[in-house]
Amino acid sequence: MITLDGKQVPWRPDMSVAQLLAYVEKPEQVAVIRLNGKLVSRPVFEATAVPDNAEVVLIPMIAGG
Amino acid sequence: MTQLEINSVRKVAYERPAIENGYNNQTLGIDLSSTAVDIKPVPDQMKERFIGGKGFDLWLLWDAVSGETRWNDPENAVCIASGPMGGTPGYPGSGKSIVTSISPLTGSVIDSNVGGYFGPYLKFSGFDALAITGKTAGDTVILIDGIDEKIEILEMPDLPNDSYELSAVLTGHFGQGKSSHISVVSSGPGAKNTLFGCLNFTWYDGQRKMTRYKQAGRGGIGTVFADKGIKAIVARWDSVSLKSNQPDDLDGLRTVSKLYSKEIVTLDPKQNKMASLGTTHLVPIMNDFDLLPTHNFKFGQHAGGNLIGSEVFQHIFDKGFDGCWRGCTVACSHGVRDFVPFTGPYKGKKVFVDGPEYETIAGCGSNLGIFDPSTILEINFYCDNYGLDTISVGTSVAFVMECFEMSQISVEHTGGLQLYFGNRLDALELIHQMARGEGFGTVVGQGIRRMKALFAREYGADAAILQDIGMESKGLEFSEYMTKESLAQQGGYGMALKGPQHDEAWLIFLDMVHNFMPTFDQKAEALHWFPMFRTWFSLCGLCKLPWNDIVPEDNKDTLEPAKVMKHVNWYADYFTAVTGRKSSPDDLISMSEAVYNFQRVFNLKMGYGRREHDAIPYRAMGPVTVEEYESRTERYDKQLIEKHELDIAGLSVEEKVAALRKFREEQYAELQDAVYQRRGWTQDGIPTVATVKRLGIDFPEVLAVLEENGVSA
Repeated sequence: MITLDGKQVPWRPDMSVAQLLAYVEKPEQVAVIRLNGKLVSRPVFEATAVPDNAEVVLIPMIAGG
Repeated sequence: MTQLEINSVRKVAYERPAIENGYNNQTLGIDLSSTAVDIKPVPDQMKERFIGGKGFDLWLLWDAVSGETRWNDPENAVCIASGPMGGTPGYPGSGKSIVTSISPLTGSVIDSNVGGYFGPYLKFSGFDALAITGKTAGDTVILIDGIDEKIEILEMPDLPNDSYELSAVLTGHFGQGKSSHISVVSSGPGAKNTLFGCLNFTWYDGQRKMTRYKQAGRGGIGTVFADKGIKAIVARWDSVSLKSNQPDDLDGLRTVSKLYSKEIVTLDPKQNKMASLGTTHLVPIMNDFDLLPTHNFKFGQHAGGNLIGSEVFQHIFDKGFDGCWRGCTVACSHGVRDFVPFTGPYKGKKVFVDGPEYETIAGCGSNLGIFDPSTILEINFYCDNYGLDTISVGTSVAFVMECFEMSQISVEHTGGLQLYFGNRLDALELIHQMARGEGFGTVVGQGIRRMKALFAREYGADAAILQDIGMESKGLEFSEYMTKESLAQQGGYGMALKGPQHDEAWLIFLDMVHNFMPTFDQKAEALHWFPMFRTWFSLCGLCKLPWNDIVPEDNKDTLEPAKVMKHVNWYADYFTAVTGRKSSPDDLISMSEAVYNFQRVFNLKMGYGRREHDAIPYRAMGPVTVEEYESRTERYDKQLIEKHELDIAGLSVEEKVAALRKFREEQYAELQDAVYQRRGWTQDGIPTVATVKRLGIDFPEVLAVLEENGVSA
């Protein structure tokens, strides 16, 4: 299982961050996540694998400066 | 140093008024030339229209200078103010000082928002704002002592020059054993020898038992300060509580403060982790999105980008509370203990580095091709200690590095420095030269606008290419975000009042990443609302970070997530509770709009503030060189074909660069049209008479400036 913003989501082999975000409402608005403590941004969502038992947090990225 | 030589030049006793709803209702003026100390009442109109903070600064500065005043004229003022909510200990981010002056870099109004204890201590000592005019021979220290109710102008000839040591000595001396009662404003040798000097504002770190520093960096106010002969300003105050501002509704203030603080404590660890990482979390994100300035803004990404961000600094930052004002739960002012510089006067000695923040990492790291945290820390340390703005230093050095690599300048001009990207030792040597006022450092310390003219005139460099790659607008160096793919952020930089600093508008993610504002009108609306709301923080003595660096969990489900309206409503409640002036979110925007337009007219008074002054270099809009185009060929080709419907078959890269440039420059001009219209300005970028009347700033002198510039009813 994966913990996605505090909720349990089933894990499957070779799951990417992009695939995981199918469980999120308005995935197109997610630009940055934290995967097991490491920041991952949208340009690498497809290429980044999610390990089993991962903890994923959606980062509200609207700020800066 | 055991014994300090102190000569009292002037000593004035005063009676500290009782603060009422966040205001003392008086300001302090000090003329260094005559040593006159002038305490003036704050008229109701000043509070109503200008609110406080930057608004009060601008009011005082406008009175001090004429349209002919230059930055180093005695009548130029350094103005510092808090704001009605400034100094509230329980509400996150309430300790800011706002500093304004006529800038050495731009020739017009500059403002800088800075943490540390000075602004609140100035206010609790009895003054809503401070304006310093005149000049002295040097070594002047101004003491504003709210505890003993006295103002003193002192000559202290044997103080250290470096800002850190100077502030520590003054804190020890005036603190009388209670260092937390002192905040010092100082500059350093770099401020004296360049045009982009910064000011260091101190706060006392009780946990680490040391003086800490925040910087009013932009626009060279430290240079004005040094030119006036001011060594330091010291404020002395003791106790602070939620009651210190004598708020109109203490219970209301307590309620909203608790709500906000609790939310930040709960959510920050899940979100951006400001309290442990500060703004360093932005580095890997910007790098991933091709937004991290690299090699003088040529590129937005580098393989080394991940070596200089939060993943590294989380292990380097010293653990502990890092709030630059009491009780701030964002607490993002991190630092590094026991750093040992490998160059310069502190070589081999252990020092504490306050920072780095994102801007310094990007400006003095990736933009220089330096991906080594130690060098970034060393540049950070020396810039602060010398009183140099890390943003202008970073962007200026990046410019000369590209000029060097393009052979526009050579070792003959640099005095032997090999200024290719990544040469950390010569970059550091250049900074030491700036502080010493020697060699090529004195040239780079003039800033990019003057360097462009000098390189073309004296060194035979190509003026057109320098114009394209020199990242300045209005004379101010760009802060550290790539804007090529965000038209809204190009406008956010180009149409910012003081020059290209992101504090007015940071729209890259909303525009480029989320595509929330696809039309010109939507971009123009964003370039109205966001600069206005962000301006409001500087009117009130507040920090912007708590507003949208930590957001409510349900924020994404709101109508306009980018505005974080739950927090905006809390700010309106906060303002109402302190001042007793019942306010809604729309009222906050109106408050800012008046001050914002006044500042635009102020620019006009100083000979700027027109459409032509909102121009930005083409490097900010798109690829200048073939190398840049070819680094993102797929992106640019696609845009030419799909967005601009151009048949690119058979075009050379040079022709495609030129075609893209034409489209992008047209887009920027179209954006200017839309923004000026939304702001109620003429197509030359000047507020109309109807606009200044609507905002209640139709003072005779404002109307006179408009009329002189061809705008009348």
